[in-house]
Amino acid sequence: MSENPYLSYDARILEVKDLTPREKLFTLRFVDPEVGENFSFKPGQFVIVDVRGFGEFPISICSSPTRKGYIQLCIRKVGRMTKFIHRMKEGEIVGIRGPYGNGFPMERMEGSNLVLVAGGLGMAPLRSVLWYAIDSGKYEHIWLFYGTKAYEDLLFRDEIVHLLKHGNAMNCSVKLAYEIESPSCIYLERGFSDRVCKGVVTDLFRGEEFDVENTYALICGPPVMYKFVIRELSNRRLSPGRIYMTLERRMRCGIGKCGHCIVGTSTSIKYVCKDGPVFTYWDALSTRGLI
Amino acid sequence: MRYVKLPKENTYTFLERLKEWGRLYAPVKISEKFYDFREIDDVRKVEFHYNRTIMPPKKFFFQPREKLFEFSIKDAEYRETLEDVEPFVVFGVHACDIFGLKIMDTIYLDELPDKYYKVRREKGVIIGISCMPDEYCFCNLRETDFADDGFDLFLHELPDGWLVRVGSPTGHRIVDKNIKLFEEVTTEDICNFRDFENKRAQAFKYHEDWGNLRYLLELEMEHPMWDEQSDICLACGICNTTCPTCRCYEVQDIVNLDGNTGYRERRWDSCQFRSHGLVAGNHNFRPTKKDRFRNRYLCKNSYNEKLGLSYCVGCGRCTYFCPAGISFVRNLRTIMGLEEKSCPPELSEEIPKRGFAYATGIRGEDI
Repeated sequence: MSENPYLSYDARILEVKDLTPREKLFTLRFVDPEVGENFSFKPGQFVIVDVRGFGEFPISICSSPTRKGYIQLCIRKVGRMTKFIHRMKEGEIVGIRGPYGNGFPMERMEGSNLVLVAGGLGMAPLRSVLWYAIDSGKYEHIWLFYGTKAYEDLLFRDEIVHLLKHGNAMNCSVKLAYEIESPSCIYLERGFSDRVCKGVVTDLFRGEEFDVENTYALICGPPVMYKFVIRELSNRRLSPGRIYMTLERRMRCGIGKCGHCIVGTSTSIKYVCKDGPVFTYWDALSTRGLI
Repeated sequence: MRYVKLPKENTYTFLERLKEWGRLYAPVKISEKFYDFREIDDVRKVEFHYNRTIMPPKKFFFQPREKLFEFSIKDAEYRETLEDVEPFVVFGVHACDIFGLKIMDTIYLDELPDKYYKVRREKGVIIGISCMPDEYCFCNLRETDFADDGFDLFLHELPDGWLVRVGSPTGHRIVDKNIKLFEEVTTEDICNFRDFENKRAQAFKYHEDWGNLRYLLELEMEHPMWDEQSDICLACGICNTTCPTCRCYEVQDIVNLDGNTGYRERRWDSCQFRSHGLVAGNHNFRPTKKDRFRNRYLCKNSYNEKLGLSYCVGCGRCTYFCPAGISFVRNLRTIMGLEEKSCPPELSEEIPKRGFAYATGIRGEDI
């Protein structure tokens, strides 16, 4: 019998961590060690999580390929299936197949500056890039601009605050923006008033200068965020080919068969799962409906 | 290519012999007006001159409903359920449908082949048949009216039999095993074949160039046709189910009443349904009926890069079976300015924006 691409591999939940009231971080390891060894991925790729009896859904990997032995998925409770997986405990089994998608072109960006722009849950795939870049040490400087609704919605809070304090030693500058004020963010702001502000993610660009010839921007966030961030980057004359963004669709197959993620028009049909989910701004300019 | 002749008097014997190669399916008349591929018991019921079947032959390879896995929740068990597929023969496939299958192949048999499709494709024998177009056919415009490959045998009608093109090793074996039924092709047969092909080429309703269609569709995204036609569309999705190249599917886990065992099933989906573009958090990428209606036109008229053909093969099913009477061809010709009242001037002036205006909202001033 030939290989069945729809077969998912058993993975055990090693740890479930509450990130916010809505998002949980699941750490998974493949039950079969051989599968785990052969599972190599790039930042920006996604897997299909298979909860047998409930169905499948695509989730981007939020751990870095440099941290081996496990994968982490940050899942927000939004619907029937995510609600079910939120009820799952350590030791339970889910199916994982993948990784799928093109991922970010990390090799091409080596030696350059990276500007990571995350909004809300968009932090999940960019966390993979962030730690990959820090761990590999092959990148000039990394900026992380992260906008959330409130301080309470900040994902990976410990890590982000750690990078806020000690990021310079790792060539990494972190800046945070939040829209709603709460007592804890005032505490945070006291120490880092230059890097934490009330506002939206585009406000964080103020006062930052990057060499546009040697910088790549990686964007992930809610659809509404893209156009403002791209305007900000274009004003700084960053080439559309240097702006990467990841898109979401609800793929059933992940391998360009089921048709649910088809975007574009009669001259430019693309599958988000196969041709994406990472696209450049050039792609968006020539493919209608991409963003 | 190898050519042989099947004399008319041997046709039914040949059909009978085909049963040795697997279960035989062929077009039969199922009602006053409609034909469909059915399993053949009595070969005299086979229709040689049918306009189009309701379902395209994709249903044999990519089944309308298909069990993918069986599972047991308690034991975390998970099993493939691809039962042994019996060999089968699909007789009487028109050229456009053969192209439909070739397009399906580019999607389902790529680097990560779909196992369920692949097994059936390997077990299925395809025997094509020539046809005369009716007023719904436009395969000549799609360049899918003559199949070069993708079949095992292809029968071209002659006044006294069939000129048979042999297209695969299986085709050779079928001919060799029944060699007594066949004859050599004569000069007269070649003349008859040529006459038939010339007659067929003349029989199409439209003779025009659709080369720039996909650009015009993109430029005319705000054409009044979209509003008019999507308004009468019932969004029933019959255009998708009868399309030889529509391949979207939906997956669902169905749990048995014991709450433990169950199966994962996939079934044909339609991009005309609201659920098609729905993602988590109730966001829909194609929220209106017009968006979905237009999406199908754009998808069907885009080009398959591997074959260099559009995804639409011009079989005419979506028009023929549409309960709202929407004509795919007429709408496309409207976009191309080939229909009367294509661009009513009083309307076109009111259109807010046309052409490559997209992405301007997010475009910075200087790029």
